[in-house]
Amino acid sequence: MTQNLVNLNVNPCKMCMPMGSATAFYGIARCMTILHGSQGCATYIRRHMATHYNEPVDIASTSLTEEGTVFGGEKNLLQGLKNMVELYRPEVIGVATTCLAETIGEDVERYIETFHEQHPELAVKIIPVAAAGYGGSQYEGYWHALRSVVSHVDMDASPNQYLNIIPGLLSPADVRALKDLLDQLQVPYLLLPDLSDNLDGVHTEHYERLPQAGITLAQISKMAGSRATLELSLLNQPAYSPGTYLRDTYGVPLYRLNLPGSLRDTDALISVLKELGAQVPERLRQARGRFLDAMADSHKYNAAGRAVIFGEPDFVLTTARLCCENGLLPVLCATGAHCKDLAPQLEADLRDCARRFHVAAYKVLDDCDFDTIEREAQSLGANLMIGSSDGRRVAQKLKLPLIRCAFPCHDQVGGQRVRTILYDGCLSLLDRATNALLNQRETGFRQQMYDLYYKSPAEARFPAGRLSEQTAQTDPAAAAAKAKASELQRKTAEHPCFNGCGGQFARMHLPVAPACNIQCNYCVRKYDCANESRPGVTTEVLTPQQASEKYRYVKSRLPELKVVGIAGPGDSLAEWDKTRETLELIRQFDTEVTFCLSTNGLLLPQYADQLARLGVSHVTVTLNTIDPAVGAKIYQHVEFMGKRYTGETAAALLLANQLAGIRRVCVLGLVCKVNIVMLKGINDQQLGQIVQAVKDLGCHQTNIMQMIPVAGAVFEHMPLTSNKEIMQVRRDCSHILKQMNHCQQCRADAIGTLGQDRSREFCHYHAKAADAGPAKSPAATATANRLPAVLPAAVTAASLPHPEPEAAADWSPALRFAVATRSGILVDQHFGQVSDFYIYDYQDQTVCFRERRQVGPYCTADSCDGHGGGQREGAQVHRMQEILKAVADCSGVICLRIGEAPRLQLEERQIQITTTFDQIEKAVAAAAQQLHAARKGA
Amino acid sequence: MDIRTALLDKYGARVYKNRKDHILTVPSDGSMPVVGANSRSLPGIMTERGCCYAGCKGVVVGPIKDVVTITHGPIGCGYYTWGTRRNKARPSIEGQRQENMPMLNQYMFSTDMQEPNIVFGGEKKLRKACEEAIEIFHPKAIFICATCPVGLIGDDIHAVAASIEEDYNVTCVAFSCEGYKGVSQSAGHHIANNQIMRHIIGSGSRPLPTPFTVNILGEYNIGGDGFYEEALLARCGIHVRSAFTGNASIEEIASAHQANLNLVMCHRSINYIADMLKTRYGTDWLKVNFIGIEATKKSLRDIANYFGDQELLDQVEAVIAEEEARYAEDFAYYRSKLSGKTAGLYVGGSRSHHYQLLLKDFGVSTVLAGYEFAHRDDYEGREVIPSIKLDADGKNIETITVQPDPAQFRTYLTPEGAQRLKETHPEIELNDYKGMIVDMEAGALVDDDMNQYETEELMRLVKPDIFFTGIKDKYVVQKGGTLCRQLHSYDYSGPYSCFQGAANFARDLVASLYTPVWGMIRVPWKSRPAILAHTAVGGED
Repeated sequence: MTQNLVNLNVNPCKMCMPMGSATAFYGIARCMTILHGSQGCATYIRRHMATHYNEPVDIASTSLTEEGTVFGGEKNLLQGLKNMVELYRPEVIGVATTCLAETIGEDVERYIETFHEQHPELAVKIIPVAAAGYGGSQYEGYWHALRSVVSHVDMDASPNQYLNIIPGLLSPADVRALKDLLDQLQVPYLLLPDLSDNLDGVHTEHYERLPQAGITLAQISKMAGSRATLELSLLNQPAYSPGTYLRDTYGVPLYRLNLPGSLRDTDALISVLKELGAQVPERLRQARGRFLDAMADSHKYNAAGRAVIFGEPDFVLTTARLCCENGLLPVLCATGAHCKDLAPQLEADLRDCARRFHVAAYKVLDDCDFDTIEREAQSLGANLMIGSSDGRRVAQKLKLPLIRCAFPCHDQVGGQRVRTILYDGCLSLLDRATNALLNQRETGFRQQMYDLYYKSPAEARFPAGRLSEQTAQTDPAAAAAKAKASELQRKTAEHPCFNGCGGQFARMHLPVAPACNIQCNYCVRKYDCANESRPGVTTEVLTPQQASEKYRYVKSRLPELKVVGIAGPGDSLAEWDKTRETLELIRQFDTEVTFCLSTNGLLLPQYADQLARLGVSHVTVTLNTIDPAVGAKIYQHVEFMGKRYTGETAAALLLANQLAGIRRVCVLGLVCKVNIVMLKGINDQQLGQIVQAVKDLGCHQTNIMQMIPVAGAVFEHMPLTSNKEIMQVRRDCSHILKQMNHCQQCRADAIGTLGQDRSREFCHYHAKAADAGPAKSPAATATANRLPAVLPAAVTAASLPHPEPEAAADWSPALRFAVATRSGILVDQHFGQVSDFYIYDYQDQTVCFRERRQVGPYCTADSCDGHGGGQREGAQVHRMQEILKAVADCSGVICLRIGEAPRLQLEERQIQITTTFDQIEKAVAAAAQQLHAARKGA
Repeated sequence: MDIRTALLDKYGARVYKNRKDHILTVPSDGSMPVVGANSRSLPGIMTERGCCYAGCKGVVVGPIKDVVTITHGPIGCGYYTWGTRRNKARPSIEGQRQENMPMLNQYMFSTDMQEPNIVFGGEKKLRKACEEAIEIFHPKAIFICATCPVGLIGDDIHAVAASIEEDYNVTCVAFSCEGYKGVSQSAGHHIANNQIMRHIIGSGSRPLPTPFTVNILGEYNIGGDGFYEEALLARCGIHVRSAFTGNASIEEIASAHQANLNLVMCHRSINYIADMLKTRYGTDWLKVNFIGIEATKKSLRDIANYFGDQELLDQVEAVIAEEEARYAEDFAYYRSKLSGKTAGLYVGGSRSHHYQLLLKDFGVSTVLAGYEFAHRDDYEGREVIPSIKLDADGKNIETITVQPDPAQFRTYLTPEGAQRLKETHPEIELNDYKGMIVDMEAGALVDDDMNQYETEELMRLVKPDIFFTGIKDKYVVQKGGTLCRQLHSYDYSGPYSCFQGAANFARDLVASLYTPVWGMIRVPWKSRPAILAHTAVGGED
């Protein structure tokens, strides 16, 4: 999930554990499953499996009601088992628990014992599996069931000639192909689970209620004496691995292999089988040769493919490898399951493939939902989707072909007959992928040619997809227009303020333009208040030279930096030369970065064309009214062409220029956003009209903001606008135009993502480049003189450069404090939970922020020993040492609370401990005075 | 041995004792039997019923198109209700197109609870999820539906909803519809009804374009049924304020109390709201049925007679004549292909009743019918409601009582008007429903909560030509050689409502009965057929 959406899963790319367990049990002969929980679980799972397999899916339920949840579900389970046995006579019953049973803590193993005691006459093997929905996805449920099968069936460990084959979830047709292969190779095998027939049935004269095919109990019991186990899953956790259990308990050698869904993975399977004595027949060599022949035939089409592959981890892994070896780059590999191993397993393949085709970006994501997949597919330029039918909504929206080859396939038939493994199966999947790409080209070709040669470039419409872009390039003008449009689209998607969600993209405001040509009644431009975050505030003002160097420095440490913005701190057009020079300097070494600018709009008509030429693509204009009479209440004065205007004249002048400027930038194709500060009693009744007006001018979106009251401003005491009110207004206006809902009202020197401002890490950067010329701003100079050293962005405790005595010679702080804070404003964190300390210096009664020092938190929810860490050993002790090292040069530590063990440690080092909840500055001053007093006393 | 005895014969004593009250034959003396409905399903015998959450989120709340419905729980529950009921919707309010309306019913939102959330509680995660939903989707309302673990770990979802509403000025309603509550989906319907009544209905106001404004309660617009109904009513001059809840927007529901008549389609899932609207606002309700040609005609006439406007009555007759003429040829052809066949029906709340009437239009007789989660009143009529004894499971589901709203209470009919309607049109059952059984033929079988085992046995014993049910039992029936069509999602077909829908339905049925495959099941190298499908006879003529 994305940074924005961490608590809300939007359109999940996974199902729950009991679903996987029930599927696994379908590979056992004469076996039935009962879910211990409320009956909805069984009903829903039956519905989903039946729709995919087009077969009866019989899963019973213990039908727990409120009574069962209060008094325990034993009665229901015992009765359920009895009813099943009486009506169906199964040989094996799988009992999978559900969220409900696991949450109330049902002891299923004991209930099963009770059942056998009560009914000694009923010979049925009952296998329990813990499958809480919150414990994992259907992937984990499948493997956990198989693990439970081998650990619960009575085993016969006497050696036999069989090989255990345990594949990940495959379609029945794929399982049949796997069995055919093993027969061809003349290997005696035990296949668990054998899904070949039960879920892809044959029309027979008599319908059998119990699944007749599948591995039998007797066969399972022989798995302990097999020559080896081949587990066809690399990503399954050892705790859920049946092969690992057989190896550890009975000494059956274990081979863990990928699902054979690619040439290399099939080769690997065959060579292991050969090693174990299989005979490789000529037919198989031919199948491999045919696959290779086909790969060579279709490579030229595949190279244009940019695939999204999604689904269960094993499927994604092997399918991505198939695509890579065919030059079809999987730009996004995504699984809904938690699977940290997927990315490392794929990295080499993806890197190699991407490099061959000169593609920069690809991603591997786990714990991912379709909302994320959609966004990523778009930004990574995918033109093909491979996975289950759950991707159909994304495919439809993005107009991508979707190859349905994994569970579930709900909107088409044949999900149970899809082939994806072994040489012929890989080939069949590859053909489908290639044909999807070809079809895309074929169906769009005529339209493209028509658009290109019979319509003007401006009218030309191109279907999405990389393939079409290649044809577009035959007409340079059209190609350029198209490229520009798609570039702008990409830039908008990567611009945190314009893309509607912020996201992982970072931006940087360069404070190069301090002067302003208008005075708004809500504004007092005050620099260097590190704890204040609002527009117009900055710690320092940079020269264009400094700004471009700072950009270069920050970019090297913040690769997600996509946007450079100039937001004053005054008006970015009031000192046009500085703004222009800054952007020119940066463009010299970075042709990619998005230029963005915010202005009051007074000089916009004058500079709009120059902005476009400079490559500025996004402009924000603050426009608070379209009525000069109202404007007169908002603006004190406007300075234009060397003259100062006041009252309605000023407002009318400003407005005329704003509207003309907005129209001009929109005509030039720039993306324009309008910020509106909602002022109660002044412009709050006409917000809709403003939004409509700027929409008519061609604006992209508006951002209605709360006014931040500032001491000393005319509007200091104006009533505040609540979140509720602002939400309501935005909602109302969203009918007219797209609204920005995530504005953070950033500082003029903000750096980082909208969610996480990192400007403080970089705030004194230019001081390092002191020889580039003295800073002009007195405030900035003062700061630069006060702080000698520059710290890189990420400071880890291990690499923490403690101030060398030489560097600090002319400035030895009297007192230094490490502060535990999460907000950066208040002392609000427990010592043990600090992930980075804020270091403050106190000198001459001035509190001064120095740096942040990163340390790992000492306490985590899962490592708490209830003694403040006093009972800990090993890694925790090491971490403690690191933290102590990080604060070694401090005179005191200020935190919300602290555990006993670290308190002793700090006291031993004579570091004063202050526990408080206060503003940082006040707390530091208080602690310093306390320390002074103590020292004097001593 | 009659069929009922033969069916129950296979059961052990305990199961027999339970199931015998659910299975009965419609008496030939016209008396009304008692159905042991709405009681617990037996563990281990595959019931087709769902859970309380399914009834609340899956049925009633889920289709509302401009609301973010967050499933608070582990991922499965939410995933399984994602788009599965094919509730169609389009961006409109009362038929007016809305350019910027987000179609949120296509999405599935879940808090995707993990183990730590179960251990430490999930309220914080839920609150954040709501905030994220607001930030990204700007919905007009957020609904929170609980799953099993939520009630067990004691998350106070109502408090979270209240605080979100307070902080963000977004309507936020929580539904305590944990899966284990009640005995079937039905409990979830009731919980959803209560909360919608409590928090949504009455909170909005929209002008009434015509006095002939109605709500269609219990129309979930599966396969687009509601679209046909709305269009047909519009042609007659009847305006639909809101449908509960197919293609519904929150604004429509909020102002539903202003309509002058409520039409009830699915009696089971929505009768609570119909009842409460009558008590609080005085709005009469009328059980209608737009499934079936004759049923549609009766429903239209009943509505027109209720409003008692001659112009409306004339318009209704004109529309009926026009529609019948348009489909006369189709209807005659399909009747010739279907007449004399027998059918079994096993669907949810009211469909097993509705479709009997549609089948009858084409000469198909229903020999077996049952409901998944109905109560006695759905079988026997509402007059039995006072005599239904609440069992432990029923008592756990809250029943709310509403008081008349003095400011907004008004009835369309004056007391004299109501009296006159009763006298002139005794066939109109105002604020009443007579149940399914009165429309069934003597000797037909009724099976409540028919499980997988009974379904399979009944196919052998009753041998209907066609069986209508859902996806879960579809393949068992088909493997046994009986044609089976889904009536939950119409096998991706539909709409089946009103006149054109009847033609669609008959077309699908004829296509299924006369497909060549039934004739090919005879394996050429065997002398006798592998499967003796009753439908094979149909395939040969």
